[in-house]
Amino acid sequence: MKNLVIARIATQGVAALLLATGVVPARADEWGTITGRFVYAGSKPTAADIKADKDVEVCGKHKLVSEELTVGADGGIANVVVFVRDKDVKIHPDLAAAKGGTVTLDNKDCRFEPHVAVVQTGQSLVLRNSDTVGHNSNVATIKNSPSNSLIPAGGESKVAFTSEEAIPAQVTCNIHPWMKAWVVVRPNPYAAVSKADGTFEIKGLPAGELELQLWHEKAGYIGEIKVGGTTEKTAKGRKKVTVKAGDNAMGDITLDASLFKK
Amino acid sequence: MDPTNSHHRRHGAALIATLAIAASGCGGVPPAWFRPNMVESTKQRLTPAQESQVATVMLALFGTPDQPVAMPETGLDQAKLDLAAGPVHSDVTGKKNGLYREHCAHCHGVTGDGLGPTAAFLNPYPRDYRPGVFKFKSTERADKPTRDDLVRILHNGIPGTSMPSFALLSDTQVDALVEYVKYLSIRGETELNLMRAFFDLDDDAEGKLPQAREFLVDEMLTPVAEKWRAADDARIAVPEMPADIDLAASIAKGKDLFYGDKANCVKCHGVTGLGDGQANDYDDWNKAIVEIKKEVTGTAERARETKTSGMSAEALAEHRANLAWVDRFHHVLDGDAHRPRTIPPRNLRQGTYRGGRRPLDLYYRIHAGINGAPMPAAKGTIPPEDIWHIVNYVRSLPYGFDGELGADRTTTASTRDRF
Ligand code: HEC
Ligand code: HEC
Repeated sequence: MKNLVIARIATQGVAALLLATGVVPARADEWGTITGRFVYAGSKPTAADIKADKDVEVCGKHKLVSEELTVGADGGIANVVVFVRDKDVKIHPDLAAAKGGTVTLDNKDCRFEPHVAVVQTGQSLVLRNSDTVGHNSNVATIKNSPSNSLIPAGGESKVAFTSEEAIPAQVTCNIHPWMKAWVVVRPNPYAAVSKADGTFEIKGLPAGELELQLWHEKAGYIGEIKVGGTTEKTAKGRKKVTVKAGDNAMGDITLDASLFKK
Repeated sequence: MDPTNSHHRRHGAALIATLAIAASGCGGVPPAWFRPNMVESTKQRLTPAQESQVATVMLALFGTPDQPVAMPETGLDQAKLDLAAGPVHSDVTGKKNGLYREHCAHCHGVTGDGLGPTAAFLNPYPRDYRPGVFKFKSTERADKPTRDDLVRILHNGIPGTSMPSFALLSDTQVDALVEYVKYLSIRGETELNLMRAFFDLDDDAEGKLPQAREFLVDEMLTPVAEKWRAADDARIAVPEMPADIDLAASIAKGKDLFYGDKANCVKCHGVTGLGDGQANDYDDWNKAIVEIKKEVTGTAERARETKTSGMSAEALAEHRANLAWVDRFHHVLDGDAHRPRTIPPRNLRQGTYRGGRRPLDLYYRIHAGINGAPMPAAKGTIPPEDIWHIVNYVRSLPYGFDGELGADRTTTASTRDRF
């Protein structure tokens, strides 16, 4: 009996503390998925052609276009980066188990594939060259040691990341200066890059309040979005969301054309 | 450096006041002050209050050009800094002080920002030490130079550039100057860390950095100093050049590698070795300015196209802030940055090597590439023995040339300009 009273007081105490700090505890078994689609508001921009003037025999065979801003036929924006900003976010056990391993950034057809690669701290990035010409990959990280290795035809090189990067780092090839990619280094698995149709999905998020951060190479951290018809300022690309267990569809997230004038 | 322009009145006033108070006491002579990194500050859109927060912290951590402070965490030697710092003068014993301002500041700037009064006329520009990046060293690409590397640079200068040799200075003086370069570099990198830290603040921090020592020293300064301490362990392990090497055969092998798809030297240094391959790239210092200029131009264009009629008060304020930012950046770029210049790959037929002409120096350059410059590292791709073959081929280039002279003329727009 006495024990029970103590237990009750203790529980109430914890609840009061949680209320006071405004923390909504995620139940350990409650995990959610966020989906959405980035849509371009404005007349669809046409990607400029790239004229390969180095290794023309090989690179000239491919139709190369600027990938700085890729908008699909139905307005979807590719390569928008979405990640969770919270430092101490709880990690879904399946995702925690999958930690480690490598992510590949391929030099293929005289461009990088993918255009934006996401790695977790502790993972390595394999810089591969599937082309028949030599490349180099200049990885301009700030917190991690930057690197710039020759990658011979058919070869590869590995880069490890130990710290997160506040801003996605650019990867370039100095031999073929039109080649550009980005690497996003995050301390957790909660990051996504929008696909060609503008859609993205982040799975296994703990239910509760989280802060997302939105970035695009031309727009930088995205300062304004329109969701469900309402325009919202998102200073430094930060957007608070409440994740419920199960599906959380954000629907269309519209980005005004003016954001990409940079 | 024009203290009268509107930007510096607005944004520099608080700083100058702070610094002037701190550094006063040198009767008559205006006290020297470290110039804040205005390009980074403007890029991060720091407010005047945030700028003075950084300046106050920097003053506490590093002191002034006349009275530098060697915090224990920096691992720097106060006596050496004192010898190098301050205005040029001799003390009671006749010992000469103020070495840095006497010998280096007119090129590298009092702050080590590469913005001394002579700098704009030089090509390449003098090194800006603040990002902590050095090109010619014996350590792995991203690592700091060793003390010996810096001593060597001061003894030999950097051939083919305006960086002179200081071989006539005493060892003690060179040692003090090396310490001072490290000091300026650690200082500059710490300042960059501080200015970048605002971006990461949570909303409830109200735009102010934490004042705790754990943050200011342990997170912002110590990691920079640690990298300098680690330099000696980051030295490139160089296997001896095989003693029984047949030089002619080695040069032939090196030539194949130079032109081959693995090492790919030819892509940048050109079929003729004149440095006329991929020649329109920038090094990191210049590239940073090129990118910022793009951002400023984009923002200006966006502001110009914005229709202000019917705008909400909030949107109008943001629009005005953007215009002010563009205006501010134009001033900053005028006074605090050089006009960007490309870094052409070296002409390898002249036999002038900026990082030293010993075979070992060339080995380092090829193994690690050139930090901060487009030249990539061969490490991991080309085995050590093959690097030695390439070294031998490169060293043979100034004396004879049997490549396909003039075969590839598609990218030689400015070859003539380099002679
Ligand atoms: C006449 C101008 C001039 C003067 C005077 C001068 N330098 Fe330099 N310094 C340069 C230039 C130019 C470079 C860059 C060369 C390059 O990038 O190839 C440079 C580069 C350097 C570097 C970088 C080396 C590296 O590996 O990246 C150091 C360190 C340096 N100088 C130290 C000093 C010191 C210390 C003094 C004074 C004792 C001094 N310099 C005086 C012009 C000058
Ligand atoms: C992506 C372009 C690129 C490639 C590939 C490249 N270099 Fe360079 N190289 C440069 C540039 C640019 C410089 C000048 C850098 C500077 O001074 O900051 C340079 C400088 C040099 C120097 C001069 C070093 C000194 O001390 O002055 C040598 C030697 C050299 N490269 C050899 C090579 C060799 C050998 C290879 C192939 C293994 C190679 N480079 C591949 C761009 C390149």
